[in-house]
Amino acid sequence: MEPFFEWFRLLYDETGINLTFIYDSYDRVRLWKGFLTTLWLSGTCLVFSVIIGIAGAWLQGSHHKWTRRIVQGYIQFFRNTPPLVQLYFFYFALGSLMPKVQNEWGGYEPILGNFVWAVISLSFFAGSFNVEIFRSGVEAVPMSTVEAAESLGYTRLKAYIYIVLPLAFRVCLPALSNNLINLVKTTTLAFAIAVPEMLYVSSQIWSDNVNVREMMTFLLVAYVSIVGILAWVINRWEHSLKIPGYGG
Amino acid sequence: MSFKLFRALLISFFVVCLVSPALQADVVDDIKARGKLIVGVKADYKPYGFRDTSGKIIGIEPELAQDVADMLGVKLELIPVVASNRMEFLKQGKIDLMIATMTDRPDRARMVFIVQPNYYSSGINLLVTKKAALKKWEDLRGKPVCGIQGSFYNKKVGQEFGAKIVAFKGTAESLNALKQGSCIGFVYDDSFIVAKLQDPQWSDYEMSLKTIDDSSWGLAVKHGEYRFYGMMSELTMKWHANGRIIELEEKFGITPTPFAVNMNKRYSDKK
Amino acid sequence: MFKRKIKKFKIPLNPKHELAVLLSSRSSLDPAPLKDQKGRQPILARLRKVHLVWLISIFSVSAFAAEVTGGVDQPSLIKTIFLWTPFLLKGFGFNLLISFISMAIGTLLGAVLGVFQISLFLPVRLSSKILTQFFRNSPWLVLLFYCMFMLPFEITIGGFIIPFPDWIKAVIGLSLPVMANVSEIIRGAINSIPSGQWESAESLAFTRRQQIWLIILPQCYKRMLPPWMNLYSILTMATVLASIVGVEEVMSLAGQVLAADGRPELLVPIYSFVLAWFFIYCYPIAKLTLRLEKKYALKT
Repeated sequence: MEPFFEWFRLLYDETGINLTFIYDSYDRVRLWKGFLTTLWLSGTCLVFSVIIGIAGAWLQGSHHKWTRRIVQGYIQFFRNTPPLVQLYFFYFALGSLMPKVQNEWGGYEPILGNFVWAVISLSFFAGSFNVEIFRSGVEAVPMSTVEAAESLGYTRLKAYIYIVLPLAFRVCLPALSNNLINLVKTTTLAFAIAVPEMLYVSSQIWSDNVNVREMMTFLLVAYVSIVGILAWVINRWEHSLKIPGYGG
Repeated sequence: MSFKLFRALLISFFVVCLVSPALQADVVDDIKARGKLIVGVKADYKPYGFRDTSGKIIGIEPELAQDVADMLGVKLELIPVVASNRMEFLKQGKIDLMIATMTDRPDRARMVFIVQPNYYSSGINLLVTKKAALKKWEDLRGKPVCGIQGSFYNKKVGQEFGAKIVAFKGTAESLNALKQGSCIGFVYDDSFIVAKLQDPQWSDYEMSLKTIDDSSWGLAVKHGEYRFYGMMSELTMKWHANGRIIELEEKFGITPTPFAVNMNKRYSDKK
Repeated sequence: MFKRKIKKFKIPLNPKHELAVLLSSRSSLDPAPLKDQKGRQPILARLRKVHLVWLISIFSVSAFAAEVTGGVDQPSLIKTIFLWTPFLLKGFGFNLLISFISMAIGTLLGAVLGVFQISLFLPVRLSSKILTQFFRNSPWLVLLFYCMFMLPFEITIGGFIIPFPDWIKAVIGLSLPVMANVSEIIRGAINSIPSGQWESAESLAFTRRQQIWLIILPQCYKRMLPPWMNLYSILTMATVLASIVGVEEVMSLAGQVLAADGRPELLVPIYSFVLAWFFIYCYPIAKLTLRLEKKYALKT
């Protein structure tokens, strides 16, 4: 592997294209770790936001007025404020209110680290959009089907899980895929609270080595590829779930 | 000498006389023609450059910039810069002079023309909680340390001492994280930390480690601007001789750094 | 003799009761928001005054908490924030300026790109599709960074020097994803026009250009308006990203205010203050959107 990496050092000496993240082992390791962090962050946020979306859509159909109102309030807050400021809120404001645990050097640190707060904040942000998407899917299920389920003895929750949700899923998949792609792009914001994801590590590399152009190009290519792969996977899934005659 | 050779020499002499003023047209002439000196300074680093409530940038470095403008007899315009764009702006010609807490390092000297002698110096130290009882930098191994994104010493502290650098955009975020306990200390310029420790709300913190990497800061002009460089070099020496740096440090509430005191002695003796 | 009053029960024909496995999915470009379709309304339209009350209460609670925990010998937090307000307002105005210009440029370019996406000419269609997908899939922040560092700070065209300050680069950087999204909105709107319109236009001997410009696009405007306003609200929130690349807008100014003041507990009150302004700006727009939508609603 070493000769392969050394070639890039030669490239720098000859042409001035400085790809330190290939030939310098320190940069290479931390960029790889940053890439894995981005994938891990996107993956966990995706899963949690879908769970929040499903739960929220169910709670929106609740009989209690206050449940519905709380869900509405949550949606309005997260959709109408910049996600960057939401991140700051969660990490600095709520983080300082959390209980502290003692760590190994005798100090007190908050119980949740910045990665966890980034996951929480971004999941809630994407979840608020998902609630609306799942709700539109749920509305597409005809009332007659739900009534039939009721007459067969399903409780509201069981009907939701076994009957309504699978049918609703097909309808909301296009909008859901759009939202999930936006989520992957929004994970770049976690760099403001020092989560070591790809953008953060790249900014450290370019401030150490002053090779902004190369790092920016790499970032652009990397993100477009990640998002492209995700979009293609969801597209194939959509295609396989398609019912002829339905769907936008 | 043949007449042809003589004629050639005469013509080339006239050509050189015509061309050289144009060759010498440099940034000083531009500034004087414009009537305005554009200086890049920091706007988020108290006390070197920060905002007052009217939005004006004040601090040690804006005052130095005003001295330069007075020397050239023009008005002053301050442009806020950050570490990531200060050299770019100078290279592009957007600013004529850069006084922005920039450490004088060889790789930076390749990109911009750093004026010698240096006007200021500061080392890196750690604002650390007293509970940690750190004795030396190596004690930081594996511990989270807050810093500022883009600082050149992040790599050193991370690699050499094994600390986990948690870098934020600005000092407010880092200090907040430090207060919360997300990191054991805040690595930054020692003059800033000394000023912060005078604040009673930071009484549980200390600066117990030895200052490392005491490196001087430099003003910078664009490469090739020899005349401006000469003027700035002379002005810096004058500042040291008059004790201007020490005067500004005391005005903005920091104890005079040893570098400033030494340079003052050195240059006032030379007088 | 007596006229018997026959009570006529009107059985409401609920479309949901027609048997179907799934109802035909309605596109999000459905114009008329029915009363029970709150979910289809654009997000802006559902802001309420009560949300402003919530924001202000968060701000005051945090300011009060910070005040109580803060030092006694420093000027009160409320007073400090009040002193810095004109400075921050200038930054906020700058955000709005960036959002206007960005939206304008993005809409113009996106309209052109969107129409190209339905072109009959394969290279044009393919290249505009690729361009749209590329800019839709890139993170806004990375595009911003790219424009900030790659565009020169001034261009000289034949003796004229056009300065390119930072914020113009941010405007261009933000208008690229806007362009891609507008192109998608327009393509979706055009696709939702029934094919009968195209065919009848063709049979009346309109050229392709006339068809698009005189017949199809006028029908699209009303369908495009809600997603377009939605995009504008997303863009306004995204102008905050310009602070990360060094543009002097409200977030970076807030950071400078915090640095100048030096008290960590000022962080949350200042940011919630700024948040409240974003809300105050978006709320009238949301109401305006709702009104425009009702005015332009097609009766289906």
